[in-house]
Amino acid sequence: MTAARALAGTQRAAMAEAWANRRGFWTQVIAMVVNDVAWIAFWVLFFHRVGAIRGWDSSKVLLLLAVLTTSAGLVLGMLGNARRIGRLAVEGDLDAALALPVPPLAYLLVRRIDTTNLGDLAFGIVLFAVAGHPTPLRTLVFAAAVVVAATILTGFLVAAGSVAFFAGRNEAGELGFHAMLMFASYPVDVFSGAAKALLYTVVPAAFVSAVPARLIDHFDGRLAATLVGVAALFAFGGWALFTAGLRRYTSGAVWTRA
Amino acid sequence: MATDPVIDVAGLGKTFATGRAGSRKHKAVEAVRDITFHVEPGERLAYIGPNGAGKSTSIKMLTGILHPTAGRAEVLGLVPWQDRRRLTMRIGTLFGQRSQLWFELTPRQSFRMLGAIFGLDDARLARRTHELAELFEADELFDAPVRNLSLGQRMRCELAACMLHEPEILFLDEPTIGLDLLGKQRFRELLVRLNAERGTTIFLTSHDVADIEHVAKRVIVINHGAVIYDDDVAAIRRTLLATKLIELSLEHPTDEPAIPGVTVVEHTPTTMKLVVDTSTRSIRDVVDALLGTCPVTDLSVVDPPLEQVIAEIYGAPRP
Amino acid sequence: MKAFRVAVVTAAQRVLAERGGLLVSLGFYLAVVSVVTSLWRAAAGAHGGTVVGYSAVALTWYIATSEAATVSLNIRLIEDIGNDIASGTIVAELLRPASVVGIRVASEVGRALPRLAILSLSGAVAAFLLSGGHGPPDPAALLLAMPALVLAIAVNLVAQHAFAGVAFWIRDARSTWFLYQKFVFIAGGMLLPIEVLPHGIERAARLLPFMAMAYAPARLASGHFEPTLLLVQAGWLAVLGAIAVAVFAAGERRLQVVGG
Repeated sequence: MTAARALAGTQRAAMAEAWANRRGFWTQVIAMVVNDVAWIAFWVLFFHRVGAIRGWDSSKVLLLLAVLTTSAGLVLGMLGNARRIGRLAVEGDLDAALALPVPPLAYLLVRRIDTTNLGDLAFGIVLFAVAGHPTPLRTLVFAAAVVVAATILTGFLVAAGSVAFFAGRNEAGELGFHAMLMFASYPVDVFSGAAKALLYTVVPAAFVSAVPARLIDHFDGRLAATLVGVAALFAFGGWALFTAGLRRYTSGAVWTRA
Repeated sequence: MATDPVIDVAGLGKTFATGRAGSRKHKAVEAVRDITFHVEPGERLAYIGPNGAGKSTSIKMLTGILHPTAGRAEVLGLVPWQDRRRLTMRIGTLFGQRSQLWFELTPRQSFRMLGAIFGLDDARLARRTHELAELFEADELFDAPVRNLSLGQRMRCELAACMLHEPEILFLDEPTIGLDLLGKQRFRELLVRLNAERGTTIFLTSHDVADIEHVAKRVIVINHGAVIYDDDVAAIRRTLLATKLIELSLEHPTDEPAIPGVTVVEHTPTTMKLVVDTSTRSIRDVVDALLGTCPVTDLSVVDPPLEQVIAEIYGAPRP
Repeated sequence: MKAFRVAVVTAAQRVLAERGGLLVSLGFYLAVVSVVTSLWRAAAGAHGGTVVGYSAVALTWYIATSEAATVSLNIRLIEDIGNDIASGTIVAELLRPASVVGIRVASEVGRALPRLAILSLSGAVAAFLLSGGHGPPDPAALLLAMPALVLAIAVNLVAQHAFAGVAFWIRDARSTWFLYQKFVFIAGGMLLPIEVLPHGIERAARLLPFMAMAYAPARLASGHFEPTLLLVQAGWLAVLGAIAVAVFAAGERRLQVVGG
């Protein structure tokens, strides 16, 4: 299939580009790792003092963080444009993608690799290996869960960014990105009521970290099916919103700058 | 049998909404309105106008990037914004300020990616790269990272990238922006050569008049979103301004001749430049008079610069 | 002295002009406060009502205050200063009569004050609502928390100037900033009261300046009347100020040697 070949060729070029751009790579990766380690330290200290709360303890939270950092590293690292869709739409940077005979969203996603986030990806895998009790079954579920979580995250980011086509500004994209990552780094059961409902629906942070972690500990067919369903929903939703938005793309026309 | 036009535009229009819907700042800007023209295969067409005239908007609708709000258009029999992927296989686009080549990679690496995108097999890609390297005299350039190339070198490689898949039409949006004189000249020569050797239709937008003079055979002038002129480049010169310029070299200093319909615009001890109003006086009469009264060693008759012509068109009130 | 006052006032006016950025900061602040206090209230609930002596209500006021102290600041300061030094912008400032560090800190404090005021006010309302309608555990201590907040941002700003000098010398401002920020998060008591830390680490944290940047005002606002905290903050302000001045002076000499 020519589209697959086109995308593979694009991704290969993106990797070559990322590798060519590796000045400062190591300091940034180390800074990212330090950042992640600080979060680990926080949780370890927290649970050391507090003990388990609402079914969450130290090892469960580390599992949550492993899933989050791996899938976030995958999305932000390998699909570097996922968080930039809104910015690209507003600044008229989609022209190059539209001038080529490729499916525009897929091309944009594989077009850019952000090496610093690959540090998160590596960190998450190491964290799972060290603190996640990686039996063969758990490892399998971890890998599958990461892929599904990455799909949800990508679909959400693309949808939030595509709002920019209609609004003319990229606020929803930026807000969505920060909200998602913030909420997903906490065990969802500490929230209650409306906030908790939000995290299972509009901002699917629970499905990106807490639910996959739960599945790794106790695999449940129905929950897994729900997770996959949510992934399909957000993947389709993101793509649909983006495609609809393209009809309103202004290519950065001067008159429409906010 | 008449050939079908490769570009067929009728009543094309694009209105942008500015500001937020419902806010005080909201208003509709008609960037392009009621554009109608046809382009035959193998033509070299310049689409010119001042900044903000709607050139970029037009070309982006023809290449499927923007959706129009009125009218219709067909390029190679396809509707650009509906059949975008099929169309982009057969056309090439070069937008002056947006790069097809990836900054950190060499052009050859970008070509490999483009080859995968356009479905060129390895043999065909290698052949095309070689042909283009020869045609553009760019062999050493293809293996340098794009960030190390000068703008002129980069634009040559960009043009090569557009031609990799042997498109039938080449759309260029302000391609010579930022190039120095020599760079512009070389670029224009390449376009003319591409058109001559492969019959590639050239559709070029610009506000540099020299682009038109050296590349285009036909020019469409657009202002305030509407077409205000559509004819051969030579016709523009002839019909809109009935003037010619005469440049003389003199053997020794001489007085200015007094010929009705002729104005002296420059007079040095060894040269003279005159403007002739050809509606009052024929060139033949003026030249005869000059040769009779002045110590002429050399004489040339030239058309007025296109700049002047276009400026007159721009100044025309909105229809 | 007048130069300082003018710097503070103009900077404050500038911030008020940046309404959009203020709104974003406010939104971010409220989101973080609701999330983190949810966590701590859940923790207190699961732990028999208190964690290291803080009730759920106290923890809510604690977090609202510690976050206000840090979100008020221009978070990229170390990077900005490091870049300014590298680009030579500092040189232009060195030509002015007043102390470089003093002017910069004064103007940054000026910028932060309106933000601090807005965040503190909203934080108080948020804390009241989130804790289920409870006011501050000790109103007198809360009064002390206000000057403590101002001192907290001043200490933070001066420390960043001192650190920025280091960043310039090791040539990586961004990573230095990341590390600095993590220290404030944990040793500074922003994410957790430092009493949560294991005893050895807690004692070390009390000796570091970070606790003056978030823990001090938060401790007061959460109902602990400990005026000595203000003295500790003032002390760190003086010490870090001296270090920052020395660092900038050394940097100035280096610039002159290098040629600016």
